[in-house]
Formats: sequence, C-alpha cells, structure tokens
Amino acid sequence: MTTSAIALADATAARSKPKSLATLVGRYVGLLLLACAPLGVMWNDPYWVNILAYAYLFGALACAWNIIGGLGGQFSLGHGVFFAIGAYSVARLYLDLGLTPWLAVFPAAALATLVAVLISWPTFRLRGPFFAIATMAINEACFALANYTDRLTGGPRGILIPFRAGFWNMIFIERWKYALLNFGFMSIVVLITVFLRRARLGHYLLAVREDEDAARSAGIDVLKVKLLGMALSAALTGIGGGIFAMYVRVLDPPTLFTLADIGVKFALISLIGGIGTIMGPVVGALLIVPIENFLRGALGGAIPGGHLIVLGIILVCASLFLKRGIVGAFVGAVHRIRNRKRS
Amino acid sequence: METFLNILISGVLLGGIYSLVSIGLNLIFGVVRIVNFAQGEFVMLAMYATYFCTTHLGINPYLAVFLVAPLMFLFGLAVQRLVLQPLQNEPMMQIFATFGLLILFENSILALTRGQAFSLSGGYSSVVINLFGLKASGVRVVVFLAASGIALALMLFLQRTMPGKAIRAVIQDRQAARLMGINVERTYLLTFGLGTALAGIAGALLAPIYTLSPYIGGNFILAAFAVVVLGGLGSVPGAYFGGLIVGLIESFSGYYVDPALKQAIWFIVFVAVLVVRPSGLMGQVGAEEVGLREQT
Repeated sequence: MTTSAIALADATAARSKPKSLATLVGRYVGLLLLACAPLGVMWNDPYWVNILAYAYLFGALACAWNIIGGLGGQFSLGHGVFFAIGAYSVARLYLDLGLTPWLAVFPAAALATLVAVLISWPTFRLRGPFFAIATMAINEACFALANYTDRLTGGPRGILIPFRAGFWNMIFIERWKYALLNFGFMSIVVLITVFLRRARLGHYLLAVREDEDAARSAGIDVLKVKLLGMALSAALTGIGGGIFAMYVRVLDPPTLFTLADIGVKFALISLIGGIGTIMGPVVGALLIVPIENFLRGALGGAIPGGHLIVLGIILVCASLFLKRGIVGAFVGAVHRIRNRKRS
Repeated sequence: METFLNILISGVLLGGIYSLVSIGLNLIFGVVRIVNFAQGEFVMLAMYATYFCTTHLGINPYLAVFLVAPLMFLFGLAVQRLVLQPLQNEPMMQIFATFGLLILFENSILALTRGQAFSLSGGYSSVVINLFGLKASGVRVVVFLAASGIALALMLFLQRTMPGKAIRAVIQDRQAARLMGINVERTYLLTFGLGTALAGIAGALLAPIYTLSPYIGGNFILAAFAVVVLGGLGSVPGAYFGGLIVGLIESFSGYYVDPALKQAIWFIVFVAVLVVRPSGLMGQVGAEEVGLREQT
C-alpha cells in the first residue's frame, strides 16, 4: 500500500517535537477560524451565506464519514441511511411531540447509532469493496423502505416542516444564523476527530485500516473497534441529518438517499480534501460545494446533468491524480521540504 | 396452480436478465478484483448504441449485437487501460473511479438525449410464446436462452482454452500466475474487455424490452451485486444460477408480498447469504476476505 497521508503526517510529527494536546487544539481552532472567515466577510450576502451553510454542514458530515471511512478505512456508501434517520427522527419528534430540535438531535443520534451497529454487525465481516457494495445496498433498501412507510416518512410526498421562526425551533429568518449553527457543528466534529486521533480508539482504527490481520494479531478486537468507529460516525451523521432537516424543511426520500448527492458526496468531499486527514473534509467541502453550485447555475439550464458530468470527471481525475487529496498533498510537500533541510 | 407456474416462468425469465447482466460483472470482479460500479452503465450505453443502430442505420437489434459487443469490448479495453490499470492496488480509489464513470456516463447520456425516453418500436415486445397454455414474452425467452448459452460458452472457454486457463490461474493467485509466465496485465485487459462485451450483448438484447432512460443502469447494478454475492466471487455458474434465484425471489415476493419492496428483499437475501455463507453458493470459501487483499 502506498504511504497514506496520515502515516506520513505521523512520520513528520514523530521526528519533530511531540505536540501537547493544547497546542494541537489551538492549531485546529485557528484553522477553523480561518474556515469561518468567509462567513465573516459575506454574512450579508444571502447567496453566499446559503452556499457556506451547505459547505459547513457537508464539511461536518464528511468529517463524520471520515472517522470510519478515513481513519478506519471502512469505505461506507451507506451513510445516507444514518443521515436520513437523523433527519426523519428530528422532524417527527419536532412535529408530533413538539420537542425542540436542539434536544431531538440526541435521540435521533442514538437511533442512528443503533441502526448503524445492527447493520454493521453482519457487513463488517466483508472487506474493502465488498463492504462498500453491502453498504450501498443498505442505502438503496432503506430508500425503498422510506418510500413505502407512508406513516413514518410521508412516503414519496415527504414531510414538510412549517416555517415557524424561533430559536427553540431551530428555524431562523436570517440565513447567517444557519451558517453559524452549521459552522459550530462542524467545529465540534473536527475537535472530536482531533481528540479521537490521540485517543486509544483512534490508534486502533488506524491499525485496523493499515493491516487488519496485523491489528488482530497485536491483540486488537477488530470488530469492536470498527463498530465503535461506526457508532461514533453514525451518531454525528445523524445529528447532521437533524440539522439538515430543520434547514431545508422539506424531506423526501430522493433528497435524503440519492447516492450521488448524499452517501457518495461525503466520501467525495473527503477524497478531494484528503481522506484520513483531519482538516481534509473541511477543505474539500469549502471547495466542492461552491464549485457544484456554480456549475449547476452555469450549466444546469443549458445542459441537463451538466454539473454532474463535471463532478464525474473530477471524481475520476481525483482518484487518478490526487489520491491523498489537497491536505494530504500539502502535508507530503511539507514533509519533503523538512527532509531536505535535515539532510 | 396456473398462477404459480406463471409466476415461476416470469421469475425464471427475469432471472435470465439478471444472469446476463451479472456474468460480465462477476468475471471482472473475480479476475481483475475491481468492483465495477459502472457495469450497469455499460449495459445502458449498449442499449443506446443498439437503439441508434436500429433507428438510424436500420439494423435489426438482434443483428446489432454483433456490432455493439465488439465496440463495447474496445471501449472496455480503453477504460481498463486508461483509468483502472493505474489504480491496480488501490481498491478505495477504484471505487471512486468507477463511481465517477457511473456519474459521468449517466449524465452524458442525459445531456445528449435531454432526458427524453426512447423505446424501440417494431413490436418486438408484443411477441408472446404460448407453451401448453402458459404465456411467456418472446424477447425475454431470447434473453434467457442467450444467458444460458453465454454461461455455457464462457465455462467452456475458461476450462478448455489457454487464455481461459490463464484467467483461472489469475483468479486463484496473481503472483503464482505471473511466475508461471502469464502476462497478468494482459489477462486483466482481456477480461475487462470480455466483461464489457458481455454488458454489450446484454444491452443489445435488453433494448427491445425496456424503455431507455439514462438511469436504467441502476435497475441492474444492485440486483447484479446481490447475484454476485449470492453466487460467489468470480464464478460463472454462480452468477448464472444466482441470477435465476434472485429473479425467482423477486417474482414471488412481488406477487405474494409487494413489488415496491423488491430492493428491501434483495437486501435481506444479501445479508442472509453474508451471514450464512459469505463466500456465496459457488464461490471459493474465504474469497470475500482474502480475495481482495493486496496482491502484487
């Protein structure tokens, strides 16, 4: 296997002085503030605020995917399921029981976690692409089920959440508040990943990714590690789904389950930014979401599916020429420069 | 009883379609060790090519097979050589690349046709074969016979000919095959071309059955994955019988449960097989675990 970005970053880190948690957190808070800067500049421009809100939310979701997909190396295409569970649960709890979305995201996350563990148990015995197929099949099966269970999901018509602005309803008149909320969520997910990378579970996940058999013979309970990683990833994805639900306020199965828009998008964003790196998904989202928006505007009317043609080409080219993503390539370059100085 | 037999026949004929689509996928899967998410789109492209041949060149769709399949073979060679060969030992990037191809092909056709649906006229789909009072659609019988013939021919090819033996050797162990003087890269190229040519045959034969849409590949690919998992990695008879079983399951569950749930039922089959016999009905035991490990 080619040296991955994380392994490279570790090698760099190992040679320089070990960093304390405080320095590390400080560094990532700084990077996050940088990511927030566009919002500070354009908070009054509804077009850009909307794009930024999407970018932050998808950055957070890609970051959550990255926990199991990047750190753990388990290529899930089924995260749309946890996303949808989060969205539907928050919508149902809010509409039927009047529970504020701020609290409803927690049972939603719990449900997403439970489902994640249940469906991962049999599928985690598969490796690599087999796992990807199985999770994709789960996504499509749940797509069909969501269309079928009228009473829970509203079926193909979907659920409509009425516009009642208010802090406790998580519905705002000013768009920048959504963007700020999504940014806050993204920051939490990034910081969780930072802590996770230094925690025992993070190291175990990396070990499982690099060599499952070696990890097992080193005494790591591989299945448990994968399940824990998946549970954390699914819980965060579920919360993201809940926030998404209150943002778009129209939930139907195609919005929540379409692979190219949801399940694969998380993976794509991580790939562009750098799979397995901490800031990669954030960088990827800040790049991909505006590009896609621009292409949809520029090509959408003239050529049906035009923006997706470009997206497909980006996907193929990135997999051929940008395997470690932008952040991975950057870390690699820094690594090379440091080495040159040393020698 | 008659209802039952009719469901049985429609299930077998549906199974024939799934078999035909899955054999190529499983061959690529087993030999090149690539999960080709774009396989359904290869079928879709072949369907459009057949439609073009019939409406613009006036070729009968069943003769167009002999034009479309070689074209798809060349197309497959190009895809393997340009996109997939550079990613040989990177399963994750292969998934991205083939998924990218899927999105690319699907939307290119969408852009070209502007979302208009086509269907072949000529009344092919209205031919009904009457067998002791049981009715079967003629075009589907053709597909079933073709799938059976192809499965048989492919098995003979793999068993009896030198290129076939080379392919089997590569399925078993790339490294040992290389040491025996087999050109592994050329075997991949040949296999991938063969797999896409099979998709070409499938597309040409399915064009008279379905209304053409850019998204039709998605109808086949999930079923084909279920077939591959059920039948076993890289096994031609596995794909053939797996296809028939999935067709029967869909047909019976469609009648007795609900056709809207077919994807959920595929998935239950999928998980049940994974739990009970992860290597599939006819696959090598352990292939699902070690089958995709790094081999240089």
